[in-house]
Amino acid sequence: MRNSNEIIDDIANREYEFGFTTDIEMEMAPVGLNEDTIRFISAKKEEPEWMLEWRLKGFQAFKKMQFPKWQHFEMPELDLQKLSYYAAPKKKKQLGSLDEVDPELLATFEKLGIPINEQKALAGVAVDVVFDSVSVATTFKAKLQELGIIFCSFGEAVRNHPDLVKKYLGTVVPHSDNIFAALNAAVFSDGSFVYIPKGVRCPMELSTYFRINAENTGQFERTLIIADDNSYVSYLEGCTAPRRDENQLHAAVVELVAMDHAEIKYSTVQNWYPGDKDGNGGIYNFVTKRGICKGKSSKISWTQVETGSAITWKYPSVILQGDDAEGEFYSVAVTRNKQIADTGTKIYHLGRNTRSRIISKGISAGLSDNTYRGLVQVGPRAANARNFTQCDSLLIGDRCGAHTFPYIESRNSTATVEHEATTSKIGEDQIFYLNQRGIETEKAVALIVNGYAQEVLNQLPMEFAVEARKLLSITLEGSVG
Amino acid sequence: MTSDKSFYEFISNGVPGPEQKVDADNAIMPARKLAFSRFKELGLPTIKTEEWRYTNVQRFLKDAFTLAQEEQATVTPEQLKAASIPQLDSYRVVLVNGRLQTDLSELPAGGKITVSKLSDAAGNAQLQAWFDKHPHLQSQPFAALNAALFADGLFIEAGVNATLDKPIQIIHVYTASANAFIQPRHLVVLHKSATLEIIESAVGLNDSAIAFVNAVTEVVLEENAELWHYNIQSTIKNSRHIYHTSATQKADSRYHHFNFTLPSAELTRNNLSVALTGSNTETNLHGLYLATGTQHVDNHTFVDHLVPNCNSNELYKGVLLDDANGVFTGKIHVHQDAQKTNAFQQNNNLLMSEKANINSQPQLEIYADDVKCSHGFTVGRFSEESLFYLRSRGIGEEAAKSLLVNAFAFDITDQVHIPALQDFLAEKIRQYVAGAINN
Repeated sequence: MRNSNEIIDDIANREYEFGFTTDIEMEMAPVGLNEDTIRFISAKKEEPEWMLEWRLKGFQAFKKMQFPKWQHFEMPELDLQKLSYYAAPKKKKQLGSLDEVDPELLATFEKLGIPINEQKALAGVAVDVVFDSVSVATTFKAKLQELGIIFCSFGEAVRNHPDLVKKYLGTVVPHSDNIFAALNAAVFSDGSFVYIPKGVRCPMELSTYFRINAENTGQFERTLIIADDNSYVSYLEGCTAPRRDENQLHAAVVELVAMDHAEIKYSTVQNWYPGDKDGNGGIYNFVTKRGICKGKSSKISWTQVETGSAITWKYPSVILQGDDAEGEFYSVAVTRNKQIADTGTKIYHLGRNTRSRIISKGISAGLSDNTYRGLVQVGPRAANARNFTQCDSLLIGDRCGAHTFPYIESRNSTATVEHEATTSKIGEDQIFYLNQRGIETEKAVALIVNGYAQEVLNQLPMEFAVEARKLLSITLEGSVG
Repeated sequence: MTSDKSFYEFISNGVPGPEQKVDADNAIMPARKLAFSRFKELGLPTIKTEEWRYTNVQRFLKDAFTLAQEEQATVTPEQLKAASIPQLDSYRVVLVNGRLQTDLSELPAGGKITVSKLSDAAGNAQLQAWFDKHPHLQSQPFAALNAALFADGLFIEAGVNATLDKPIQIIHVYTASANAFIQPRHLVVLHKSATLEIIESAVGLNDSAIAFVNAVTEVVLEENAELWHYNIQSTIKNSRHIYHTSATQKADSRYHHFNFTLPSAELTRNNLSVALTGSNTETNLHGLYLATGTQHVDNHTFVDHLVPNCNSNELYKGVLLDDANGVFTGKIHVHQDAQKTNAFQQNNNLLMSEKANINSQPQLEIYADDVKCSHGFTVGRFSEESLFYLRSRGIGEEAAKSLLVNAFAFDITDQVHIPALQDFLAEKIRQYVAGAINN
């Protein structure tokens, strides 16, 4: 059996398994960020005037903002003028079925094991495939249409459902929310739009796969999900990206709106290219995700499994505005090599009897830094608000860091807020026990880590849970002794 | 110094450096100058400063203050008695605005323990070695201001194997005929295997003028030394306090710090930091804060695990009434070398009124893997069931609530190992709850 140091070295040196690029011709916007770029993007996407104006408002806000300084890592130097803000596969003709999709693109997804093929589709997954910003194929549309569910690309929604977009765009994450949200507002390329009408329970998991491909393009997705009264939707987002040596910025925005008694479940598996073992390259994942429980007894639940990206920096949040609303956040964040994760959640209790639950599991290995940062705020009106937070950190190797920075602000004496955090390593006795039962160290670690993350993984929809478990095992198998 | 401009503005820009001082403490003048330039660099904090985001200190510095302060005050025996802990058999050290009053004090005579004015110890090697050296003071603007411009304070030194038959009670008297900004500074050094118990309490004599106290205490524990350090904060409402207590612990030393903030000053900010520079140490930090009115109580603690095999244990509990504001920020930092660290931290709060509020940041920053660290935080109110149970047994509301608050605080008061002090605290809690119910 190998000793623990060898195993740690092995994991620390492991290359990204999904690193490959696809050669598809790209149509690029000129490099640089100014009003002309924004007009170019807007014109390319044949957007109405109001959309352009909103983008320009975002740009004005962006110009006034500075990069934040409070994060627990050294901010990489980002030259936003060196990026190109628009890239779309050139073939623009309408596609009716998967046969018409570029075979090379399909092969890429095949390699990633993304369930875009018919078998998977039959398994009940409607996939809105985003390949560098523009949707190229959408399945199950007809079935969803029958129920009145709108599931389309953001661009399509702007064209076909302008009233809905106008009503909700920027209401949860305003164009001036933070510098990356403002940048996104100005230059967002495409994304997904979901509307679930009153009383409808979406019969299948909606999923979108994002890929970053073209060199030197940031990806600026924008997702808007609205669940009207008494509706339910579960949305999946999964990402893998080909390896690149140059850093790529991803500044997406996700907005969720849940009306009376509605429920939105949003799950993410993120496995973007984390850079090589020396910390070169990798994706900067600076995403703004926020949901509002607008209606009474509404519920929003975030689940995330974060294993990729050079830097993951995001705080999926829930504003509990309606009385009796409920917010949940489940997270597993794994970092290794020189990866950095500064992630957590923000929960704002505004309405009465609102409840929230935060479960965060951080695993850090190699030279990485893994930070949980979260805010639980109880407003003066939020009588009987209830929060429970648990964040655990697992350290693998003695060169990594695990940090917990919770912020708790309670303005109502009837609220009950609880927070607990622990930090530890995998016990030698646990490994020994499993070894003794004939399970080799690598498998034992995978078993223990999977058990450790179980509470979060259980929250994932079945299709995703399988992928996530595999991902955790690939990322961490044999990493501790 | 009482200009029209706010004192905040004056301190930020107009305050003259330490060169103006004509004291004989030339030996530490270079350190003072260094601290002054550090202060200039740091500047006073605003709510944008992460460490001060929940405490708007600007608000408390708006009034006009004078830096000059009375060195003597007529303290009557009654006043002293009121400031003392009843039934406590102890040595007594009385300071007026940070200056030792030997005529009012009963100092330990002879032996290996000396208590003197800091200004008299300027040439002492210990002072030279430790003054303003603590790493955590370096980033604190108020500590830098204190080091540059402090008036005077105490120097306590306990020799090798020194021990005392009873605790030392230090009574800080703050008095000012006009609003004053008072800056005392103390240094406590315990040499190898020395043990000491210190009980600090404070009293304000004049409630027509505001006393703003910016105090710094540095504590050094050499190998195997043990210090019990109680700090009882109960002055008058019309005062504002920023305390820095920074301890350095060498191998095998034990530091037990107790912080009791009672209904008193409108602003209390405690910066408590402990640097563990030797292995096998034990650190216990206990805090209890009972706040009423518009009191603002802010506890910042920092435990810095630099070396392996150290244990730290922290428990802070708060009961907040009326419009009181509570802030707790606790940080445990475990460095890469500090394997086999055990570090625990807990903050519990009881809100007893609609408008009281609490902000808490229990933080862990960990770079070593073979450690056991945890922190916890809770906020809530009385359990109605417990109250109902007690009432149904014929216990009156006041007594029942008092019982529950006492039970809540028990984890901390139980750790106090001086019976007179325990009784004193129980009485304070009783008064506090009674006050809460009568309002």
